[in-house]
Amino acid sequence: MSDDPNDPQTDGGTASKPTSEEPQEFEEHPLEWDESANNNKAPGERKSVSQPAEKFDDRKLVTGQAKYTADYEERFPDLAHAAVVRSEVPHGRVTAIDTTEAEELDGVYAVLTPWSDDVPDAKYTSAGQSYPEPSPWDMNVLNEHVRYIGDPIAAVAAEDATTAAAAVDTIEVEYEEYDHVVDPEEAFDEDAPQLFADDEVENKIVGHDYDRNRMSNIEGEIGDVDAALERENAHVHETEWETIRQSHAQIEKHTSLAYTDEDDRKVLITSTQVPNHTRRQLAHLFDIPIRDIRVKKPRVGGGFGGKQAMVVEPIPLALSLATDRPVMYEASRDEEFYAMRSRHPMKVRARTAVTDDGTIEAIALYALSNTGAYGSHGMTVAGNVGSKPMPLYSKVPNARFEADIVHTNTPQTGAMRGYGAPQGTLALEGHLDEVARDLDLDPIEFRRQHYMEVGDLDEIAGMMGGEGAERRIRSCGLDECIERGKEAIGWDDLEQPSEPHRHRGIGMALSAQGTGVAGDELGAAQIMMNEDGSFHLQVGGVDIGTGADTAFIQIASEVLGCDEDDIIVKSSDTDNTPFDYGAYASSTTYISGMAVKKAAEDAKERILEWASRMLDEPAENLETRDGEVYSEESGEAVTLEDVGYESVYGHDDREHILGKGTHSTEESPPPFAAQFVDVTVDEQTGEFEVNKLVVAVDCGVAINPGMAEGQVEGANHMSFEMAVSEGITVDEQGRAEVSDFDEYGLPSATETPPIESILIETHEPTGPFGAKSVAEVPTNTVPPALSNAIREAVDVRINEMPVTAEKVKTALDEK
Amino acid sequence: MEIELTINDESTTVAVESDDDLATVLRRNGYKGVKCGCDSGVCGASKVFVDGEVKMACGVDARNVDGAEIETIEALGTQDDLHPIQEAFVDHFAVQCGFCIPGMIIEAKSLLANNPDPTEAEVRQAIDDNLCRCTGYQKPVEAILDAADRMHGDRSVAADGGSRIDSRGTDDTGHDGDSDE
Ligand code: FES
Ligand code: FES
Repeated sequence: MSDDPNDPQTDGGTASKPTSEEPQEFEEHPLEWDESANNNKAPGERKSVSQPAEKFDDRKLVTGQAKYTADYEERFPDLAHAAVVRSEVPHGRVTAIDTTEAEELDGVYAVLTPWSDDVPDAKYTSAGQSYPEPSPWDMNVLNEHVRYIGDPIAAVAAEDATTAAAAVDTIEVEYEEYDHVVDPEEAFDEDAPQLFADDEVENKIVGHDYDRNRMSNIEGEIGDVDAALERENAHVHETEWETIRQSHAQIEKHTSLAYTDEDDRKVLITSTQVPNHTRRQLAHLFDIPIRDIRVKKPRVGGGFGGKQAMVVEPIPLALSLATDRPVMYEASRDEEFYAMRSRHPMKVRARTAVTDDGTIEAIALYALSNTGAYGSHGMTVAGNVGSKPMPLYSKVPNARFEADIVHTNTPQTGAMRGYGAPQGTLALEGHLDEVARDLDLDPIEFRRQHYMEVGDLDEIAGMMGGEGAERRIRSCGLDECIERGKEAIGWDDLEQPSEPHRHRGIGMALSAQGTGVAGDELGAAQIMMNEDGSFHLQVGGVDIGTGADTAFIQIASEVLGCDEDDIIVKSSDTDNTPFDYGAYASSTTYISGMAVKKAAEDAKERILEWASRMLDEPAENLETRDGEVYSEESGEAVTLEDVGYESVYGHDDREHILGKGTHSTEESPPPFAAQFVDVTVDEQTGEFEVNKLVVAVDCGVAINPGMAEGQVEGANHMSFEMAVSEGITVDEQGRAEVSDFDEYGLPSATETPPIESILIETHEPTGPFGAKSVAEVPTNTVPPALSNAIREAVDVRINEMPVTAEKVKTALDEK
Repeated sequence: MEIELTINDESTTVAVESDDDLATVLRRNGYKGVKCGCDSGVCGASKVFVDGEVKMACGVDARNVDGAEIETIEALGTQDDLHPIQEAFVDHFAVQCGFCIPGMIIEAKSLLANNPDPTEAEVRQAIDDNLCRCTGYQKPVEAILDAADRMHGDRSVAADGGSRIDSRGTDDTGHDGDSDE
């Protein structure tokens, strides 16, 4: 997706991947994979993987001992607190800022404006992506040209948060106001107020046209969609869908603490999903060598994509440089809604050409994405509207996707769990359901006729990625997801309510995602053996509450044959852990986990070598288990502790046993989900009640089934919210109308239906022990499944999220 | 000004600024298990017991609780000796990022003290103002239902030690507040 010609084609990957001078199509996408090279233990033989290992930080979390960024404040007695002045106009230029009163306030250490020396004037993108970023550099740390109500203009550091907030209140900003535009369709008009002059953006993205407020246009096609649509006797269907501006609503707000340490290094303790990208971006902005910045991630109170961005870090760093003190900035909950990030609201149009017998000849999706004031993740999220859901129907010969990504004077958007797939899945799965009903076909059989199977070469995945981006499907549990899901929801024996005006229906939807960004990921890990037979695992992979660190421990202990408690994990500290792209794109277990597996295998090789000498038996005869190296042949064994001591204190020879692993790959195998929603609708009022959500997910092998289920349920809750809550609404000034959780309407425990998660085990040969991703695919499915369920129950179609009683009622009245 | 508080069974005098809320005061004094997820007393992350009643500490004016008895998450189990509710949360994988969890456990403790055998609906009702973005509430609800079983007489509670519940919903497990990682 990145239009960078220099994208490094690194592949430190699975050694079994064949390479040849002139690759045949089949060799590039082999069906047979050297499975045993990756996954040499059958599920039944495993001790740690697929077992319910306790989440390693859980005891700290439930006792309140775990440390999140804000909890570090007591370590810094001279800590200053930051607050930010944000634009009160939707569009304009700051002409003057009066900071005199603020500066004179007791306890204020520094006030920064766009013109201060310590504030970088370089352009950047907040998107935490690989380099060069596939997002435009279109913003400054503090902005003179403001483009939405919430744009940062000035920042204050003071002795406490109250003083900082009081100082902010005294600062007067004068603006030259410009016309503004809030509606994405209007913004696309040539006469609309223009947000960016052409020279205000660096690192421009393919298809940009700032005269029309367009930051990007992307398009991809396989086959010939127009020909299929125009074919005689093709049934052509067209539907349009609309999604909300959803908030990440992580309970821990964006928080970041910056200081200079005793070695003169700039340190950030920060709630981030992307420590390495943040380090690189700060280096660029502040013109500091990468090596002189350290980014440390403590426990993170939720990310969901909202922290796959450098949202707040430059502010405490600039203030810390200006005041020569540690500075912490914690966004307020209000700021979370109007000045942090949100899901791109979109309109998506779906068109298909279907023959009489229900064969889909062509699918086309078009998305208009509202990227808000800045372009972070704009092009890549829009790309995923097509490239994640459409491959589900890889048997369809003609497919096209196009998207326009436009700016409006509204709050910033960014990455969010699902990353474009929720918008695309609503359109595709709602549309196909409607087509099936129109042609009087069974919606499930209609889908089954076209969806992926093991062995398929998925060309639709290549549609956007260019040549060579097709992928071979090596694991697919869709059939079983559907069967188990139907059973769990009670598909075949649905009871209708006794009141004649209430109707019950079940809707379903399918979904596919990816696992990591194909060809654009890197994870790395190191393992050090201690003399007592325990290990230190250093991994760049980023645990933001998902349990990734625990999965890493399980993978390493499976390879090393030791107890999980014998592995100490240290993750996500750019000084002390190897490189990693960060926690996004469902990559952590698959990419970073594979790096951990390789590091453990590397260490194990050295352990066997030492044990071979100690036992006087060839290493090939040896295996590790339960903290021992043993030989089936002779029955002899040494403990890992023996090996640990011998290796560092040996008489003749000594070695610190270290393992390293690095993983990157061209693969991105899709996980799959089948969603079922059981709803009861009152046809007199339009009111509806979701009785139950069932979601069955094929995530390959779940490294830790309990944690994986938790991911599925949390994702489904987020998906449910997208279907029934309004999200962040904005007024005609583009001002976020939501300032707290009550207004936002995050579904509470009584508002959330029971969620049944079902894990369908398949075996993905390219993933560690057969794993692929789990955490995003169930974020995509409730909006279409709920729309389909309401159609089933009362025969009306809701195309616009959220589904509300009023909309159902209006549709019923119009019927 | 200064106020007297009994925090987790220890009497102490703490300094309070005019606009301090209780969450700020507790956190300033090392009780970092009290979390702040909103600024407005709606997310439930800052729940503590104030004189035996669950309160969102961020919504309590610190000057108004002079003389009160406070119990925070730090008063429940320790990492080596978890309270049965904490144990159930761990065993059910009910914890993801963990940020909402201390507040939710405080609420669960209050619920089970008053209603030792709640239905699922009652559990959901009890934690209705404990917002969680990670779990979809499914596993926390299961954990609390299981904790009720664990705390019922003959269950495995004996091995645990952190479960002396009186009618006010407080227990007397002393704990020394915040410790470093
Ligand atoms: S921080 Fe107190 S309830 Fe949210
Ligand atoms: S576990 Fe993360 S908010 Fe509840």
